[in-house]
Amino acid sequence: MSTGVYLRVNGEEHEIPGQWLGRRLLDYLRHELRLMSVKEGCGEGDCGACTVFVDTEPVCACLLLCGVVADRNITTIEGLPKDFRQSFAQLCEKHGGLQCGFCTPGFTMMSAWLTGGGTETGKDSVNKLMAGNICRCGIYQQLKKVIAELI
Amino acid sequence: MNSPSPFNTASFRQRALAEARYAADIIPQTAILAEVVRCPHPHALVKHIDSRATLAVPGVLAVLTAADFEGTHLGHIHSDEPVLSSVARYVGDGVAAVAARDRQSLMRGIEALRVDYEVLPHAITIDDALASPVAIHDFCADNIADKFQAIRGDWQAVKSRVALWVENTFETAAVPHAYLEPRACLVRVDGNRLELVCGSHAPSMMADSYRPIVAGWGSQLEVVTPAIGGSFGAKWGHPTHLVCLLFAQRLQRDVAMVLSRRDDMIAGRTRAAMRFKMRIGATAEGELVAKETVLWSDNGAYSLHGPAVMKAAAIRGDNLYRFSAVKADAQLIYTNNMPSECFRGFGITQSTFAQEQLIDELAHRLNLDPVKLRLSNIVHEGDTTVHGWKIGSCGIADCLDSISKRISQHRRGKTLPRNERYRTGYGLAAFIHCIGNRGYDTRFDRAFVKLAVLPEGGIRISSGEVELGCGTVEVLTKTVARELAVSRDQLEVVLGNTATGPHGMGSFASRTSFFVAMAAEDACRRFKQGVQRLMVEFAMPNPPILSELIEHARQQQRLGDLEVTGVYQPTGVVVPDESGYGNISAAYTFGAHGCCIQVDTYTGKVTVRQYWAAHDAGTIVNSNGAQGQVIGGVIQGIGFALTECASVAENGQLLNPGYLDNRVPTFADATPVEVLFINTFEKKGPAGAKTIGEPPIIPVAACIANAVHDAVGVRIYRLPITSERLWRAMNDDGSRLEPDDN
Ligand code: FES
Ligand code: FES
Repeated sequence: MSTGVYLRVNGEEHEIPGQWLGRRLLDYLRHELRLMSVKEGCGEGDCGACTVFVDTEPVCACLLLCGVVADRNITTIEGLPKDFRQSFAQLCEKHGGLQCGFCTPGFTMMSAWLTGGGTETGKDSVNKLMAGNICRCGIYQQLKKVIAELI
Repeated sequence: MNSPSPFNTASFRQRALAEARYAADIIPQTAILAEVVRCPHPHALVKHIDSRATLAVPGVLAVLTAADFEGTHLGHIHSDEPVLSSVARYVGDGVAAVAARDRQSLMRGIEALRVDYEVLPHAITIDDALASPVAIHDFCADNIADKFQAIRGDWQAVKSRVALWVENTFETAAVPHAYLEPRACLVRVDGNRLELVCGSHAPSMMADSYRPIVAGWGSQLEVVTPAIGGSFGAKWGHPTHLVCLLFAQRLQRDVAMVLSRRDDMIAGRTRAAMRFKMRIGATAEGELVAKETVLWSDNGAYSLHGPAVMKAAAIRGDNLYRFSAVKADAQLIYTNNMPSECFRGFGITQSTFAQEQLIDELAHRLNLDPVKLRLSNIVHEGDTTVHGWKIGSCGIADCLDSISKRISQHRRGKTLPRNERYRTGYGLAAFIHCIGNRGYDTRFDRAFVKLAVLPEGGIRISSGEVELGCGTVEVLTKTVARELAVSRDQLEVVLGNTATGPHGMGSFASRTSFFVAMAAEDACRRFKQGVQRLMVEFAMPNPPILSELIEHARQQQRLGDLEVTGVYQPTGVVVPDESGYGNISAAYTFGAHGCCIQVDTYTGKVTVRQYWAAHDAGTIVNSNGAQGQVIGGVIQGIGFALTECASVAENGQLLNPGYLDNRVPTFADATPVEVLFINTFEKKGPAGAKTIGEPPIIPVAACIANAVHDAVGVRIYRLPITSERLWRAMNDDGSRLEPDDN
């Protein structure tokens, strides 16, 4: 049965089945579209591991229902430009920007947002803008270097 | 099998590209989903479970209860944790489990389950449990799960030499590991063969403990390790695994379970909360003579590694100084809290909070410089410590020196604002830690690395150890590429796969990098011997071109000659005796930390402005990785010191089962950490290296507490040092604060 409700994910149009309209965007992306870069760390908006773009803004996919983002453009890591992903990974290698890697997808999205000029970054506001992304391995200092070199 | 395992272990690059697959990412859409029904009471008898309504929900396939696991208990040391409980012993203890085709049916099924409880009296604190007439386990009337005592030296003789004793009682909090990836597992089934896919830091040991249980059902078990989103000591044996295994065996379907953050926090594990009554005695000149520790450790409802952690906390810190006599008396106490488990530092993180504050206190009372006091009492290369540790390379003096220099430079810099409201303080603390522990599992203490030439080309390196983000994959590829002179893209790494890989003890006591590098070197030696043999046999030129030789061996069906397993077994180590005496580790690692903090005297809030961490980790092989371990450990330590705590209400409910209220450090509180590696060369280590996994968290809380004392003259004996706790301590004792004059 057609719902006539569409989502564009990484440039591709998807019609949302009825039973998904009231369910989380995070589950739709992972379960239906198998976009496994989007992680669930808390499901409560606290950790940022599930960060995706809705149009150009980073949001927590665990806090959004599919129906709410109808007709919007969703971007996950899989939809980021290849060369951005490569340079992010290279800088992580250079600065030791990850350990277990579970937070990495969220930080990749946030870095893409910052480098895309998504916001005006004052000198030390990176700390504040990034405060919604938790890295339990605790390597914020290295991530800071990665981001500084990207911007 | 639905799709082929093994999983090649994700390299750093794959993790950096967000291409690593963690357990929850591997669950097929068709898998059956399972969930555990958790008891809402801290202590309750399950009188009856009515699952008829649940089983009537369309999509629900099965229900398990304690009866399905009759007689089965988990636990490495004391087997006391049921898979599902007929007497629930903490809020979150599993009493039943439901499996269903999809999430909605699962949720409906759980809602429909009727569990009748008879609520029993409970004990949340150590004191309640000791005073309580109610036994948490039938077999343990006094709620004392374990005891440990050690006494060394001539106490009569030393007592007369002590001019000053300092003594205090210290308490550390239960802290959830709070790894970012919640526990998840997938069980794949193929007839009698069950394959458990889950992130675990000790897959072989876990398989060893599950196999007899699974064999009782007529099945075999293998464990496969995907990428692991953090463990810090928590992720290995867990009842949820057995639940999924039994569902899969009975339903003959793949079964998966992913814990919610809330469930992971109420039914995961925590660092053991501990109380130390500790005293240290010194001569008037500042010679440390004697130390006595009385320890109560909160085991929680079940034992896991509680007994081992208790022992480590009771005595290991003593090895840092040249005490003539020490005494320890420790008890492990069952309570109706979530079970405690090892957590980075294995109890020494807790005991160091007490010990290194006492050392500072002693220095102040004797009017000695805390650095000098430490320097004149620390152990040195060649020492045998009071507990029989044989000290090899030892850079602790240089660590202390460099930290003390950093602190005095910073003090002179006067870069921080000073006023009535904000006070600045400096602190310092030191530690010692082992690399592996021969006493951990008395059966063996070895590591294996296997090399095999793949039919499609390239070499597979396999090991039963895992990658937790500390660089095991890097260590292995680097070592093998160097030793065999092959390019890294020829190498594939498979870690923690019990079906293909050799046995591995897993990540305990900061052993992994040290042990696998040594085993890999041995494997390469054996591989080269194989190459030599074939070269002679095939009459090929010397030195042979490896790729040609392999091609030739393939044609002759002799690739088996190049399949070798390297072993590392530390030498000179012993299983310690009952009282913990003996050289447990091949080498020891040291460090000293320093910090500059600011206290807001209006609110009691502590902000760490600058942190210095000096480590003797031997010769540093992978500098980026080692730095990252130190910085990450320090940041975790700051959480342990200032904010993290499982807050359990009197009624046993965990009040903060999430990141919002159990606040782990975020980007906003990321203190700048300067890492100083003191280079030593460890003869017994791979390329002179030692280890760096756990150590960085060990001295942090003491270091910050010492700085708090320096800033406001108040000593905090209880973790975490929250704003409220510090504010009360500053205001209750009535002393007005003098303006900062340093
Ligand atoms: S999973 Fe969405 S913020 Fe943590
Ligand atoms: S690298 Fe493990 S959570 Fe960030």
